[in-house]
Amino acid sequence: MSEHQTETETEPDRERAAEATEPDAAPSTATATTESASRPEPSTERTTVAGETDETTRPEWVQYDFDGESKLSVHDLDVYYGDEHALKGVSMEIPEESVTALIGPSGCGKSTYLRCLNRMNDRIKAARIDGSVELDGQNVYDDNANLVELRKRVGMVFQSPNPFPKSIRDNISYGPRKHGDINTGLLSRLVGRSDKEAEEKLVERSLRDAALWDEVSGRLDDNALGLSGGQQQRLCIARCLATDPEVILMDEPASALDPIATSKIEDLITDLAEEYTVVVVTHNMQQAARISDQTAVFLTGGELVEYDDTEKIFENPESQRVEDYISGKFG
Amino acid sequence: MSNRNATRSELVESDTSTYEVIAAATAAVGVLTSTLSFLTLAEIVPFEGGLGGIAMPTVFGAILSLLGVVTIGIGVVSAVGVVETTPDRDAGLVTAGAFGLLWAVVAGLVVSQSLGFGVVVWLPATLAVGVAVLFGAVFPKEDLGSTLPGGALALFAGAVFLTGTVGTGWSWSPPDLQASFTAPVVVPVVGIVGSLVTAWGAAKAHGAFGRRGRQRAAYMAIWLLAALVLTVLLYLLAFVTMKGAGRAFAGIGFGPGLSFNWPFLTNGVSLMEQSPGIWPAVVGTVWLVVGAVMMAVPLGIGAAVFLTEYAEQGRFTQVVEVATNGLWSTPSIVFGLFGYAFLVPRFGNTKSLFAGMLVLSFMLLPLVLITSRESLKSVPDEYRDASAALGVSRWETVRSVVLPAAMPGVVTGVILGVGRIAGETAPLLLVTAGEIFPAKQNAPAVLRSFQVDVVMGPPFLDVSNPALFEASSALPYQLYAIITAGLSSSNIENSLEFAWATAFVLLLVVLSFYAIGIATRTYFRRKISHE
Amino acid sequence: MSQVTEDDQLTRLQEALDGAATGGIAVSVVAGVCLVGAFASFLLSMPFTVPFLLGFVGVTAYGWFAHQAETARTLMFVATVSTVTVLGLITFYVFLEAAPAFANMGVVELLTRLEQPLWNTETHVYSLVPLMWGTFVTTVLATLVAAPFGVAGALFISEIAPRTVREIIKPAVEVLAGIPSIVYGFIGFTVLNPYMTEKFLLAGQGSLFLAGIVIGFMALPTTVSVAEDAIASVPESMKSGSLALGSTDWQTMKSVTLPTALSGVSAGILLGVGRAIGETMAATVILGTVVELPDPLYDVFGNTITLTSAIAAQYGSAFGLHMNTLFAAGVVLFVTVMGLSIAAQYVEARMQRKLGGDV
Ligand SMILES: Nc1ncnc2c1ncn2[C@@H]1O[C@H](COP(=O)(O)OP(=O)(O)OP(=O)(O)O)[C@@H](O)[C@H]1O
Ligand SMILES: [Mg+2]
Repeated sequence: MSEHQTETETEPDRERAAEATEPDAAPSTATATTESASRPEPSTERTTVAGETDETTRPEWVQYDFDGESKLSVHDLDVYYGDEHALKGVSMEIPEESVTALIGPSGCGKSTYLRCLNRMNDRIKAARIDGSVELDGQNVYDDNANLVELRKRVGMVFQSPNPFPKSIRDNISYGPRKHGDINTGLLSRLVGRSDKEAEEKLVERSLRDAALWDEVSGRLDDNALGLSGGQQQRLCIARCLATDPEVILMDEPASALDPIATSKIEDLITDLAEEYTVVVVTHNMQQAARISDQTAVFLTGGELVEYDDTEKIFENPESQRVEDYISGKFG
Repeated sequence: MSNRNATRSELVESDTSTYEVIAAATAAVGVLTSTLSFLTLAEIVPFEGGLGGIAMPTVFGAILSLLGVVTIGIGVVSAVGVVETTPDRDAGLVTAGAFGLLWAVVAGLVVSQSLGFGVVVWLPATLAVGVAVLFGAVFPKEDLGSTLPGGALALFAGAVFLTGTVGTGWSWSPPDLQASFTAPVVVPVVGIVGSLVTAWGAAKAHGAFGRRGRQRAAYMAIWLLAALVLTVLLYLLAFVTMKGAGRAFAGIGFGPGLSFNWPFLTNGVSLMEQSPGIWPAVVGTVWLVVGAVMMAVPLGIGAAVFLTEYAEQGRFTQVVEVATNGLWSTPSIVFGLFGYAFLVPRFGNTKSLFAGMLVLSFMLLPLVLITSRESLKSVPDEYRDASAALGVSRWETVRSVVLPAAMPGVVTGVILGVGRIAGETAPLLLVTAGEIFPAKQNAPAVLRSFQVDVVMGPPFLDVSNPALFEASSALPYQLYAIITAGLSSSNIENSLEFAWATAFVLLLVVLSFYAIGIATRTYFRRKISHE
Repeated sequence: MSQVTEDDQLTRLQEALDGAATGGIAVSVVAGVCLVGAFASFLLSMPFTVPFLLGFVGVTAYGWFAHQAETARTLMFVATVSTVTVLGLITFYVFLEAAPAFANMGVVELLTRLEQPLWNTETHVYSLVPLMWGTFVTTVLATLVAAPFGVAGALFISEIAPRTVREIIKPAVEVLAGIPSIVYGFIGFTVLNPYMTEKFLLAGQGSLFLAGIVIGFMALPTTVSVAEDAIASVPESMKSGSLALGSTDWQTMKSVTLPTALSGVSAGILLGVGRAIGETMAATVILGTVVELPDPLYDVFGNTITLTSAIAAQYGSAFGLHMNTLFAAGVVLFVTVMGLSIAAQYVEARMQRKLGGDV
């Protein structure tokens, strides 16, 4: 996997990237040719530190037409960390019941984008967010938005596993308990309306889905922090599934997994797309190609460069940079 | 696989409803009432006079009744379904238990004290009421379970006050306690309880019950607790300043010529003294601190360096660690006892400044050691490795790389430790303390009394400093001494004022050390996190 | 053959003696001897302490210039040993002085005697029960104040307060931790005692109730700042994990943050309790310091004495067995607090292990 080896690139070249998005760098330049066959002249093409070529993005590259409803629609989203402009004017429609892959080099803002969708960026003090994100037509950045309800509907699996220092069982049933869907407290046991059985079922189903059941079924009461990194990651996936969200955001869910577990997770994601809307960040191109219906490519500087059917992106991208990135020339 | 039966609420909520406004207002009135109760308890609002001509019990009775009625109303409106709320299935065991307990106490007091029944009646009655309320709070939905018992309690208390059952002159002496409970205490305390349980229920209603309601109520409670703590502590500072600053700063200014005068700090107490002061205590504290720091700081830092940089982790470091923690938690009076048994007999059987220095340095030692160790540990290993890779010896590395990097932490620890020992009284009582009201000339004159003699027999050289081996005063001891002297001295006109001024100066000294220490620490932490 | 080896050894020895390392060792040994001499002389109340100390200073001063690394190492080792020595000396002397009191009454009798007289300095009949009871009651009351308020305060500062408020309050609380106990005692004595007498129609001055509340408030800032440090050290990723599952902030605090920080929070409370037990001045000044049990025992408005205030109030007039008994009170205090400190360390270590999974 060449894109993994080349991941040594460092600082995003902000200055150039900013230059590239300047509106008066006009779409009339020769570099904006769409056909990959008609490559621009090498003389007009500059190369960034990361090995990216310089080109101007076009609005139609991120225009993705699809049938059916859109679950999430993002308009002109800008994120700043202090003075750093981490996401630049991203607009994107995410269709319902499908898998959307987000790819791009490290530090280009994929996690940032994902965190905007369930407003986890609110937790970061330095972060400032402009623009709007609509879930089923309702703006989640509305002043009256109910964050708890939002996060219940939009679940998230973090880039690095973060299980609670509780038993495996309690980790899984944490969400439903907090939502009041499962009640196994002392009082409910006393008055005989404990959901112990429902809990057991939920725990088993979620763990099976996350391909973890076989490994932990005998030790559900052990502390989750005693699991291996990959097991913890699957636990976090299971924990998210147990809350039964409508949208599932996954930030590199398979980064710490062996090939077998990875393929199980990939199968799971494909299955999930029957009912849920899945947005998944990955550094693995093959994975994105295998599992996703549409792919969005972010490039250094925090811009969304191209967004389209996965096939189109991988076989015939409009952007030269995207093609370079996918073929492993940088990133 | 989906279980979409899950409870759902709106993603974007509508604007504030009337119900929410009423709930918020009720909670606010509850909080204000509890504030009024605290002010009454603290005698800032006088109880006897009443409020605007109305007797205090009546005022509280009216407010509590109102709160009770409105809170019950809020609960019922939600339960009947007039407004849309999201209550849980029950109010929870803790809530129910607390209400049960409250009501049990009320029932017990009423049956045993007001109705005068014996234990055969009041015990079962108490239990019955407690259990009944507990069940009453558990079985209905959360909206009723968490408003009804509290509202009823406030209503009941309000009725008791309004009907004059508990009036201004009321008091109750429980037979087996020495204390009597009088209306000026009971009315505000009941006011606090009644207003807070209703405010809590109303805060829940404001969040439409459920987990959002619980969060509102919990946040309100925590805000109140935090505000109370802070108010009490800051009030304490303000109070001491108010009482003591005037006397402490009296007569301050430039005296004849260029000399600076601060009578309270620079005078002693004697028959002749016009404006008596605490000079000997100030000097004593300064010397105690200087002596303790000179002994404890090198020892503490040395031990910390040895433990982090040289010693292998093992039995020995473990023993030292346990010993350090033990020393750190040993009560100060035990240090005093030790000094009394070990040091005093060896210094000519008299209490002495030097014994005080030693004892305080023993108290300071673990603090310096612990903080130094912590900051040494936080120096990244890369520094050491980098230095070692350059072929620098271990000691050179420690001296020129590790210690400078750890210095901020060490300095902070020392400053905070100094604050602690400067205010320490108990050990000084046993090993140092002398006269109650020393005169200015009795202040320890350490610098002037060093003597070095050569003597013929062993030990040949005799270094002595009589001032170090005499009893001395110290700021905290001075304050204690005034109290033991019954707040009176023939040489001081207004001893109470003198005592407040002493307390003020002591606070000023100790808190300055703390403030400087914490400011230094904050400064260095910021610097590190910005790098 | 043997001649050669001997010569060899001699030269080697010669070299070694010239070598810096050996010089350093020599300095260390001489300094050590001087110090031990000074210490022994001091222990036995002999007049050689000062000369020995001067010798120590002289040798180390020489060592500092000639063999700095070794000398520094020795000095630091001495510092480390002295820490242990101090604790050893304290333990030894306090127990030594207390021994006659235990011998006089018998350990069990001294610690459990309930019949009168409880405390007679003429006939030397003593019981530590009233002292222990006083300490127990004040500590319980103080904990009832310090624990809930402390946890609430810590949660407030680290999780609930707006940023600006936190940045003022956190250092303020740390500074307030420094208020000396005698100041609390003084306020208790001059303001609160009369208040209690007036409002509760108490017969005399002072009550366990007031002492406990005052000590509780005194321990509060310490409890708050230790607990706050623990809560603030819970990793953000854990809290985010909980929030991202759609739980409220309060649920996150209750179910993730507080349980994760439990060891630190309980350490804060134990520290507060330790301070309450060992607190001397506030109790001495506020309580009436009479060696009696309150009647009935649970009468918190009654008056008694604590282990600490007995020592502070009576050391002046005590000698002989009476003084030994005060030392025995010191022993009880010392052992209790030590036990608490060790328990706290144990709890914390266990929690740490649990938190780290099987690490
Ligand atoms: N909490 C934060 N505070 C400040 N800057 C941040 C923060 N989080 C991210 N950034 C910055 O925002 C930019 C985008 O970061 P982000 O984590 O979204 O990248 P990413 O695409 O997810 O990278 P990776 O593939 O390595 O996970 C980076 O330049 C990063 O430095
Ligand atoms: Mg990322």
